[in-house]
Formats: sequence, structure tokens, C-alpha cells
Amino acid sequence: MTAALNTSRATAVKRVGSKAMLGRLALLIAICAFFALIAPSFLAPQNIYALLQSFALLGLVTLGLSLTMIAGEFDLSVGSMVAVGGLLTIKIADHGLAFGIGAAVLFGLAVGLINAFICVRLKVASLVVTVGSMMTLSGFAYWLANGEVVSSSDIDTALLIDNPIAVIFSLRSIVTFGAFLLVTLMMNVTRAGRDIIATGSRRDVAAASGVRLGLTLALVFGLSGCMAAFAGSLLSISLVTASATMGTGTMLQAASAALIGGVALSGGRGRPVGVMLGVMILAALNNGLGALGASAATILLSNGLVLLGVVLLDGSLVADLLKRRSTARSSFGAGLPKTANV
Amino acid sequence: MNSSITAHPVRSSVALPQFDERIFAPDRLQANGVKIVTLLLFAWGALTIPGYTSSANLSAIVYAVAAVGIAAIGMAFVTMSGNLFMLSMGATAAIATILFANVLHIGLLPVVLLVVLGGALLGLLQGVVVGWTGANPIITSIAFSSIITGIGTIWSGGLTIVGHGDASWLSVGRFLGIIPNQLVLFVLIATVAEVVVERTRFGRELRLIGMNRTAASVAGLRIVRTLVIAFIVASAAGALSGALTASQAAQGNLKLGAGLDFDAIAAVLVGGISIKGGRGRIMDAAFGALFLAVVSNILLVKGLAFETQLAVKGLVVMASVITGALLVGARK
Repeated sequence: MTAALNTSRATAVKRVGSKAMLGRLALLIAICAFFALIAPSFLAPQNIYALLQSFALLGLVTLGLSLTMIAGEFDLSVGSMVAVGGLLTIKIADHGLAFGIGAAVLFGLAVGLINAFICVRLKVASLVVTVGSMMTLSGFAYWLANGEVVSSSDIDTALLIDNPIAVIFSLRSIVTFGAFLLVTLMMNVTRAGRDIIATGSRRDVAAASGVRLGLTLALVFGLSGCMAAFAGSLLSISLVTASATMGTGTMLQAASAALIGGVALSGGRGRPVGVMLGVMILAALNNGLGALGASAATILLSNGLVLLGVVLLDGSLVADLLKRRSTARSSFGAGLPKTANV
Repeated sequence: MNSSITAHPVRSSVALPQFDERIFAPDRLQANGVKIVTLLLFAWGALTIPGYTSSANLSAIVYAVAAVGIAAIGMAFVTMSGNLFMLSMGATAAIATILFANVLHIGLLPVVLLVVLGGALLGLLQGVVVGWTGANPIITSIAFSSIITGIGTIWSGGLTIVGHGDASWLSVGRFLGIIPNQLVLFVLIATVAEVVVERTRFGRELRLIGMNRTAASVAGLRIVRTLVIAFIVASAAGALSGALTASQAAQGNLKLGAGLDFDAIAAVLVGGISIKGGRGRIMDAAFGALFLAVVSNILLVKGLAFETQLAVKGLVVMASVITGALLVGARK
């Protein structure tokens, strides 16, 4: 009986899920059409290329962050990690670029594992642990940069990873698409993917049915750290410079993109394809506003409004209005320290 | 249901805060430990660093404490209410410096009142969103942070606004010619906030909601109202902290508030206020700010770069998160 109920529910969730994906695709097309009507250059190949370049940076960071969100946690440190990843890469690049990227990614992995360890073993809410690591990493980035913009002389590699492929793609955006493909496979085919969703939806039930919570959280935080550091690496190689303020605003945009992509702050919900559409919607919006001549401040303002909007939709307001429940219901989203209940 | 109530008439579903009065009870270990470490650090500095107790250096510590301390007291309201942190405080302080410099010509007292009122308004909006709709406090305040920064940048054109007027009472003024007015203001605010949280109905509601929101709701506490007030207090404190900073140079610049979020969070965490809500006192945040100011000052006097100070501050926060969690474990 329970099994039957679960199956029917799963199908229902899937059906709602694909409807929502179509909705996101429609929103993306509508945004693109809107900007194309006002500024025809929006659909020019060069602009599509630029759009995919910003997708490449934000996509990797958002993909990692969204994995932690699906598991019912939140990694606030991704923004600072972008800066640290970039700085490490450029600083070590003298010994070979592969070395620099490797060091950055390993560092990201290590920080992610430490985040997970503190969350799991010391039962601290991930929002709090990662506020701490965000501050520590930000300080570390300033210390690494020592108040300067660090630059490398490796223009060849910069050209290599940014060189247009098939007019609109580049090595960077192809790598990002590849990462989305791999994570989609992981979420749909492997046990790890199912464990991540189970950990985020009903943690007590997941633990009782044999999900290794510690391992799952180590995986999502490790991946989140890796991807943010790797995104920072690629960005710094492409810019041939790195600075401590590089990741500013990335976390805000990544959170917005993940929420637009249908990842819930309360965990258990979200698919990589939705996240990809969420990133593209946000990138198109920012790019389009820029094409209309909006200043950086206006784009920041609009990013804030978008995030506020999706947070309101994610919160209990809509559900409350629909179900006419009392507002006193304790629905905190990810605000509640979930790990405390394990 | 009724029969079970009559069977156990004494049991209350709401856990009332019961404080262990011993100084080193696990509940108070970190908060009181930090006070002692602060004293020891200060004594060590005074004994080993020449000129540490000179009036110039003491003033430097005081001015560092006042702005961060006031913001930390505000942050403590949010943390104690069980809503973790408010990450829009830096942006609020930054836009407050712009407002301060823009209208300084109308006189210091009206300006400060206007700034605090503006901060309270921003807090009201966030409090309504978080308290009423149940949105995540951290993400909500991050969203507000970029909205506020965006508006502030458009408003100021990204430039430094120079104020025309006299802010010297707040910036360099001294009470009775000895104690800096900023310190007086800080101590006054800390005392009032402490009394409000410890002695009023609002304060008790704040604690109980922070400890167990579901139980508080069942017990009929005014949740939305209390949370909105907590956010108003926090945001107004952030704005006032911005006014203090702006008064130093009679200037407004969006960069002036940067880092206030981190400093206030660091003070709250180091001070020993529990991130799980309900536990801790307002004075803990104030002493946390004092600890950070003394540490930063020692690093500064020892000639360590600003960048190193940031890294140390981050590590201190991380260490206090871990200590706090270990102490919770010890309590159980």
C-alpha cells in the first residue's frame, strides 16, 4: 500500500516536474524574445557567445551549490571559493597550469569536506558553518592577493579556453555543459544521486533506510567546493588575472539561479536540467539588461529583486494562501538546523 | 487530550530558559571565557607593547568597538530569535553613511534620528518577509543586501558624498571631556537592549521563539510581531553603526559599511550567543565586539597587514562555531 502510494506520488511529482521545466523553458524563450525585440543585437552570435560565457562561470558554481540545496543544506562559501580558486591557480601557474587548476580544485574539495565534517560531526547548521568558511576564505583570498591584482602572462591558454568553437561555444562553456551532463547522470542513475534526494527530503527516513548521511553530505559539499574553485580557476585563466573581489555577487546569483531552476531551500527538490535553465534565465536577464544600457548597480538591484521574488515563492506564503493554513506554522526553509535532528 | 492535561498538570510544553548561575556552567562557559580572555589579552598588550595604554591607542580601540558593537547588539536580536544572521547589515550601514552625509546640514540629532528611522524601515520590510511568509532569513537578507547596495550606488553615483555640517559631537566629542561620546552611546544601547531582553514580555517571547518556534506558536506567542521587531532593531542598529562611521570623516561612501556583516556576526558568535536561538545575552555580543577590537588592535599594533587581520578574524569565527558546537555536545 505504501509502495503503491509512493509510486503514484513519484509519478505525480515527475509530471509536475516536467511541466515546471517546460514553464522554465518558456520563460527563458520569452525573456530572450523580449530582449531581441528591443535590442536586435541580443540574438547576434557574438552575444549568444557572451551569454554562454557567463553561463560557464555561473553554471559551475550554481550546479555545486544546488547539490547542497537538494541535500537540504546550503553552501554560502561558494562566492569566496571562486576568488580563492582563481588566486591559487594564478599563484601556482608558474609551475604549470595543470598544477594550478589541480591545486585549486583539491583545495576546494578539502574545504568542502571540512564544511561537511563540521556539519555532520558537530551537528552545526550548514548555513552557519559556511558563513564561517565564507569569512575565512574571504580573508584567505585577501591574504593571498595581498591587496593586489595578481596576474599571469599565459595569454595562450586564455585564448585557448575562450576561443569560439562552432561560433557560440568555447572550451569553458563546453566543460560546463559536460559537468551538467555528468551530474545529471549521477542524480538519475547512481545510488549517490538517490541518496542526495533522500537526504534532502526526509533525513530521518533516509537514515533509517540505510542512506549514509555523512558520506552523502561529504559528496555534495566536496563537489560544491570543487566546482566553485574550478569555476574560479577557469575565470582567472581567461582573465589572466585574479583578485580577492572576484567572486563578489556570484553567491547571490547562484542562489537565485538555483531557486529559479526549481531547487527548494527546504531540500529534496531540484534537477540539474532545471538548474541549467535557471542559470540561463538569470544570465539572459543580466545580459539583456546590460544590452539595454543598464548600469552594474541596476543589474545588482534587479538580481536582488529576483532573489527576493523567488525566496517569497519558495517560502510558505504561497502554500499558506493556497491551503489557508495559519501563518504560525513553523516553516523555516533551510533555516532550521536539519543536522540537529539526525 | 484534556484528560492527559489533568493527569500531568505541571508539565509545560514550552521549555522555559533556565540559567545555571555558575560562571563556568556549559551554557555560559564560552561567553564568560571570552570576557576573561579579553582581559588577559588586554593585560598582555599593556605589559608587553609600549604605548599600548596610551590615550591614542585606547581611543582607537573604543572607536573600533562602538560601531561594531552597536551592530552586533542588533545582530544578537536576530540570532536569538532563531533566525541566524542578517546579511544586509553592511549594506544598510553603507547606505546610512550616504544618507548621513547627504542631509548632515539639517543638524546632527535630526540626521541620526532620520538614519535610524531609515534603517528601521529596511528592517521592517525584511522582518515582514521573514516573519510573515516564513522565508529563509539569510537568503532574504542577502537579497535585500544587493537591493540596498544597488539603490545606494545609483543614488550616490558610486562616489563619496561629502557632508556639510558639524558631526564632531558624535565623531570626536567626549562626555565630560573624558569618555568618547561613541562609547557612552554604545554602553547606553547595550544596557537598554539587555534590560529589554531580560525584563520585558518582548524579550521573553524573543527567547522562547528562538528556542522552539513550534512550541511558542502553540503557546500563542506573538511570533510575527516579535520577529518583525527583532529585524527592525537589528537594521536600525546597523544604520546607527553606519552613522557612527560616517561621522568620523563627515563622508558617505558605500565602501564604509563593507565588512560590518562579518564583524557583527563574528562578535555574536565569539561572544557565545547560540546560533540555535534563544540562548545567550545581549551583553555577550557587546563583549564579543570588545574581544574582536582588542585582537584587531593587537594585530595592528604588531604591524600585521589588514589582509592578515581578515584571515585571523575568519579563523576566530570558525573556531567559535566549533567551540560552540562542542559545548552544546558537552551540555548533553
